[in-house]
Amino acid sequence: MALWFPRLPTDRLQRREQAQKKPVFEAPPLVLVAKVNNALRLSAVDRKATSLGLTIGQPLANARAMLPELKVVVANDPADLKLLTGIADWCDRFTPFVALDGPRRLLLDVTGASHLFGGEQAMLDHIRSKLQAQGFAARGALAGTAAAARALARYRDGAIIASGEEEQAMRPLPVEALNLDTVTTHALRRAGLKTVGQIATRKRSELVARLGAATLAVLDEALGNAAKPITPRKPPPDYWQEQNFAEPIVTEEVIRTTLNSLTVALAKILEQHGEGARRLEAMFFRADGAVRRIAVEMGAPTRDAAIIGRLFREKLAMLSDPLDPGFGFDLIRLSAGRVERIASEAVDLDASGNEKSEINFLVDRLAARFGSHRILVFRPHDTHIPEEAWVSVPAQHAPPSKLPWRKTRKARDAPRRPLRLFARPEPIDFTAAQHFIWRRARHAVTKCEGPERIAMQWWRHEAPQLARDYFRVEDSEGRRYWLYRQGTPPQWFVHGVFA
Amino acid sequence: MVCAWGLRMNAYAEIAVTTNYSFLRGASHPKELIEQAARLGHVAIGIADRNTLAGVVRAYAALQDIKGDKPKLLVGARLVFADGTPDILAYPVDRAAYGRLCRLLSAGKLHAPKGECYLVLDDLLKWQKGLLLVVLPQNNEAQKEPEVNFWNKKLVHEEVSNSPTEHSPRDIRALLQTLRTATPADIWLGVSMLHHGDDQRRLQHWQEVASTIGVPLMATNDVLYHCAERRELHDVVTCIREHITLNEAGQLLEANAERHLKSVGEMVKLFHQAPDAIVETIRFVNRITFSLDQLKYNYPDEPVPKGKTAQQHLHDLAWQGAAWRYGSVIPEKVRTALEKELNLIAKMEIAPYFLTVHDIVSFTKSQNILCQGRGSAANSAVCYALGITAVDPMQIDLLFERFISEERREPPDIDVDFEHERREEVIQNIYQRYGSHRAALAATVICYRPRSAIREAGKVFGLTEDVTANLSSSVWGSWGSALKESQVRQGRLDPANLLVARAVKMANELIGFPRHLSQHVGGFVLTQDRLDECVPIGPATMEDRFFIEWDKDDIDTLRMMKVDVLALGMLTCIRKAFDLIRVHEGKSYDLATVPREDSAVYEMLQRADAIGVFQVESRAQMNMLPRLKPSKFYDLVIEVAIVRPGPIQGDMVHPYLRRRSGIEPVEYPSPAPEHGKEDELFNVLSKTMGVPLFQEQAMKLAIVAAEFTAEEANGLRRAMATFRNVGTIDNFKDKFIGRMVGRGYKQDFAERCFKQIEGFGSYGFPESHAASFAHLVYISAWIKKYHPAAFACALLNSQPMGFYAPAEIVRDAREHDVEVRHVDVNHSAWDNRLEPHPDGMLALRLGFRQVSGFREDWAKTLAACRNNGFDTVNVVARRAKLPKRALIILAEADSFQSIGKDRREILWAVRRIPDDDALPLFAARYVDGQAEEDIEPLPPMPLSEHVLADYQMLRLSLKAHLMFFLRDLFRSEGVLSCAEINKARNGSKAKCAGIVLTRQMPGDSGVVFATLSDEEGVANVVVWPKLVETFRREIMGARLMLVEGKVQRGEGDVVHLVAERIFDRSHELQRLSEDETQMLPAHTSHSHPRNVRTVPKSRDFH
Repeated sequence: MALWFPRLPTDRLQRREQAQKKPVFEAPPLVLVAKVNNALRLSAVDRKATSLGLTIGQPLANARAMLPELKVVVANDPADLKLLTGIADWCDRFTPFVALDGPRRLLLDVTGASHLFGGEQAMLDHIRSKLQAQGFAARGALAGTAAAARALARYRDGAIIASGEEEQAMRPLPVEALNLDTVTTHALRRAGLKTVGQIATRKRSELVARLGAATLAVLDEALGNAAKPITPRKPPPDYWQEQNFAEPIVTEEVIRTTLNSLTVALAKILEQHGEGARRLEAMFFRADGAVRRIAVEMGAPTRDAAIIGRLFREKLAMLSDPLDPGFGFDLIRLSAGRVERIASEAVDLDASGNEKSEINFLVDRLAARFGSHRILVFRPHDTHIPEEAWVSVPAQHAPPSKLPWRKTRKARDAPRRPLRLFARPEPIDFTAAQHFIWRRARHAVTKCEGPERIAMQWWRHEAPQLARDYFRVEDSEGRRYWLYRQGTPPQWFVHGVFA
Repeated sequence: MVCAWGLRMNAYAEIAVTTNYSFLRGASHPKELIEQAARLGHVAIGIADRNTLAGVVRAYAALQDIKGDKPKLLVGARLVFADGTPDILAYPVDRAAYGRLCRLLSAGKLHAPKGECYLVLDDLLKWQKGLLLVVLPQNNEAQKEPEVNFWNKKLVHEEVSNSPTEHSPRDIRALLQTLRTATPADIWLGVSMLHHGDDQRRLQHWQEVASTIGVPLMATNDVLYHCAERRELHDVVTCIREHITLNEAGQLLEANAERHLKSVGEMVKLFHQAPDAIVETIRFVNRITFSLDQLKYNYPDEPVPKGKTAQQHLHDLAWQGAAWRYGSVIPEKVRTALEKELNLIAKMEIAPYFLTVHDIVSFTKSQNILCQGRGSAANSAVCYALGITAVDPMQIDLLFERFISEERREPPDIDVDFEHERREEVIQNIYQRYGSHRAALAATVICYRPRSAIREAGKVFGLTEDVTANLSSSVWGSWGSALKESQVRQGRLDPANLLVARAVKMANELIGFPRHLSQHVGGFVLTQDRLDECVPIGPATMEDRFFIEWDKDDIDTLRMMKVDVLALGMLTCIRKAFDLIRVHEGKSYDLATVPREDSAVYEMLQRADAIGVFQVESRAQMNMLPRLKPSKFYDLVIEVAIVRPGPIQGDMVHPYLRRRSGIEPVEYPSPAPEHGKEDELFNVLSKTMGVPLFQEQAMKLAIVAAEFTAEEANGLRRAMATFRNVGTIDNFKDKFIGRMVGRGYKQDFAERCFKQIEGFGSYGFPESHAASFAHLVYISAWIKKYHPAAFACALLNSQPMGFYAPAEIVRDAREHDVEVRHVDVNHSAWDNRLEPHPDGMLALRLGFRQVSGFREDWAKTLAACRNNGFDTVNVVARRAKLPKRALIILAEADSFQSIGKDRREILWAVRRIPDDDALPLFAARYVDGQAEEDIEPLPPMPLSEHVLADYQMLRLSLKAHLMFFLRDLFRSEGVLSCAEINKARNGSKAKCAGIVLTRQMPGDSGVVFATLSDEEGVANVVVWPKLVETFRREIMGARLMLVEGKVQRGEGDVVHLVAERIFDRSHELQRLSEDETQMLPAHTSHSHPRNVRTVPKSRDFH
């Protein structure tokens, strides 16, 4: 079975808009653009834009000249691929043999599966209508070979061609139905062979001599004379272990022990390959078709069964929505993702290395328990504004910082930034006699250096922002402060204290 | 030297000034900085851009315009080194040292790719003599943070750099010591107080360093912009430079807005701990005696023979030339003109300039390359006599004063056009003759224009490319002065949106900022002395091509000599036509010997039969021809000049035409009697029936009618010429109109005159220039009239040029009874050629250059091994050993016709030939080894598909027009052919369909002109602005357009179809290839690439 999503990118955007329940009055025609040879060209066109005469490959400037109201979005191939993969995941329920076929198509090998869904016709109709209801311009057809199904999905949506009848169905279709490269297609058209049927009447040797054996193989497949098995999409996990149950299981006990044994088995495989995983996913397939997925992530690649087991236990314990076995699970699969090499098995004698891995493990545990968005780490942020010189990011996903922490002092010199920076600068009174009053106490300034003038980020604020003049100040008791003044007449603040 | 200002405590000169000619580093124009320095009362200002002198002439020019006290301008450069040496400001004390600075920078540029300059300390040491050097311990800009490892490693060392923006004291000390050994009195240490917190401590530190080494400390503010408000723009240009957004830029931006020109008081206050550092700036200024005035320009003396002065030689050449032009009797008028000019040339001592140009032109002629002077040089009888220009002083009244005037004291400007395909030979000759150290191209300063400004500024603010593309695409034409709010709205973005508003504001400030230097198209600067001691020279993109750092305006400011070596396609075409005529018809012509004033040529032009003719082939010109009815040379001069923005915007076209056809009397606008003579404009406007048409007439109007002084007129002229500096011209508007009205001229006339001047601003033609071009109009028209086959052939061989695609040129040739023959392996060469025709005429054989994808070397191979002809495809393949791809292209283009088989069969056969990369084992049996095949015949190829294939491969078809196949379909809908439209009654309703050849929207009129073509001819369609919005999609998108509207017959029988409804019928073209198969309605999302370009792309305005 071939499924074709001719407008996948625009469908993606329009579905998202609908999901956000944005009111749509007379939505403007939508196109996606990508840069081809340094010029923006349309890479996808929605139904409305098509009907107004826009085509894929047209330069954007040209399209805009025709339709100034055009809505233009930059193409996002990874997002499209992700969506297609998502659809493929959904299709997993019909057959395990689902293959991505180019950027806009799926191939499903439904041999022996259709009876489970009420026959081929019912299955095809079901899939098409479900997908269409989801907001996809989905077209599909079923045939004995992939090439034929592909062609029919495009030219005869909904067709079901029994094995052996492909040739008859394919003959009237234009040569483009063979999905050959443009050069070959052009060669056939120029030779006056404009339908599949016309091509089929030529001698095989004649075709091979001119267009190569590959072309003939495509033709054979399209006509149902040869079948090429589809290559199911590469299973996303790099390694996995699974256990089938003849009788669906329900008890937590069994689930847990199964998971444990799968973990051990998986860890062994990882070790054999000298690798560790940063993401592990347990899939619980329920007998009624529902799938429940639970994943744990690690900051560093891991293959220690004990650690993995503990992380899963924490995760299961913290589930807000408990694992509901319903009629029971008939399959549990544990897969390892984001696999990386683990450098050496030798125990790191350097204590700091151990320390680091222990911190990593702590982070993983805390993240498994509280959610990775809650466990944060500081990273330097490149800016002049003192209070914004860092950001906090989830510790598990924090990439090693490209920036060093800004050095705030010269060697053998006093620091330029205070050890403690107040979240909120505290206003002070500065008297003429070199005194300032902070938190009701009076401080006599004995030493002072500055100003360090820092201007605010003018592009971020609507109103003009005042620059700050920072001073490092020491009072009569030897305490050091970081003060700044702002505006005229100046207002004074303490922004931090040095040690 | 006596100190001019004394060493007062309250005097200061800013020595470290970076302008925006340190591209994307400075944020103010030189002019702004000079003016600000004058306002602040600085004693002097030192312009020191990053390894360049590109901005100094601008500063120099700005200084001349300042009234009252002027700061002294110091010319220098900020040397930025590639070897980690701290930045050093270098100021030459005198002319010789200036030459060394230029040599230093030229050397640095030579080692670097275009636009960059790599210097190392040794370079400086080599040229150090006479340069005052200021070492700057602080870097000009924040450095990118070093890598972590590097950083950590550095931390281990005790002696660390203080901050990433400052060099270590050890390096500075070493540098100062090194420099001091050579020139102990010429070294300073420059320090700035930029509010970095530790300023005082640093100052103290550098004071100590300076005093221990014995080098004076000098105060600077290391200026990047003229006033604090420019910090924002500086941040923006920094981000543009680093390809980063403002949000990402972090500490690459300056922490504050302190790097502007500060008042003397402020500087004194900042340096109150080191008052000497302020005084030192004045001492520094007083050391320098160099000024740009001292650049004395020397003309090259190559062309002058020994024992003669340049003036004598020019004198001799001019009279020889006159004899060559006129024979032994030189007309009195010419004689007088020559004498007058030669006298003036002698007085201004510019004879060498004429000789140099003559020298170049003589070389060109000796190589049989056509050339012709254009522009104001055509006002000179000497240039005519020397063969530089082609405007006969007998035919036209010359205005030599336009070309050289004593008052302006500017060197003349001679622009010469050369054949575009052979200009390179001329340029190489110039290099050979003068050497690359004495000849270089002028620069063109590439500035931000609205489009580029908003695109770059938008990126900096993080606006997506689509948004900025949207904003910039709403700027019609790219020379507008500023992005207006309406344009922002047109781009459908809310100008109130903070980001967009900021981006637009910044873009507006950015417009006019120089972005980089590029080479001028052909402006050569030649000198007697070393040019690289006058100005730094750097390599251009093209190998062995060099250009200086100054542009045309700078060269004018400094009164240097420039020759424009320009390329003109039509000259190539004319030369090729002359060659063809000589070979095939045995007649020799050159630009000067084509028979003049041939009435048949003018009759042809009056009929607007002008496809391919120089200048008058555009739609607007073709409309004008039947109305103007040119019948003599001067009419062509007017024809060329009248269809231009100037006369059109000034609404001068119709009055002129009315007067010419006698509908309106010829009269001259006059002032009120008390203000002047009634006929004061007679002399100005008599040539053009009282209507100003030429640029110089408009200038004369300013002087005579608006009583502009010479200085004012000069200013207006400059404002007009440098239309890039939009805005300057507005200063003259009130003056011009006000004075004219004040003197009693009608308001309306005055306004129109000024509008015209504004129009000239974009692309004005002075009379002499129009005359030069008119000469080529006549010659190309003459060739077209008498040698249509040679003309079409030469046009095709000179492509791309002109207005029409090959298909139109071929169609035109066939309409003039030239037989055009298809490309053929047995007859064609790379170029199109002429072949004898049985009836004694010449036929045009298309060449392989018309076949898209075919290569010149294939064509040569094919021609070389043709012998007695090829009789089968296999023979072609075997003998010529072309790659299979070439054979397929040949077959696709139907170029085996003489072999006598069907295109489709041949193509099918060619595809069977084994690929080129066949194993050597099989090479022996290459083509011959293939067994005969017994296959069914392929379906016959319908004619419509033949035509489509021709269009795909050749962009034209000799077999039929595409519309021919759709005629029945359209006939049934009541659609008329183009020919029928052109014959239709005025005012009648009609429908017409055709392939869209061109779409144009002249100016910002909003009117769209489209040209439709079908098998019988072309039809002109006009769409009024109101309709343009309604049918925008059809107008812009249709390849095959159906127009319903009203026929309008204008003057001179020009027919337009005024559109009322427009339909896009491009899909009908699908029928042509999908004839015999019943297509299923395919849901295709990809149109076939070949189909996409079936129909040649129309030439459009966007």
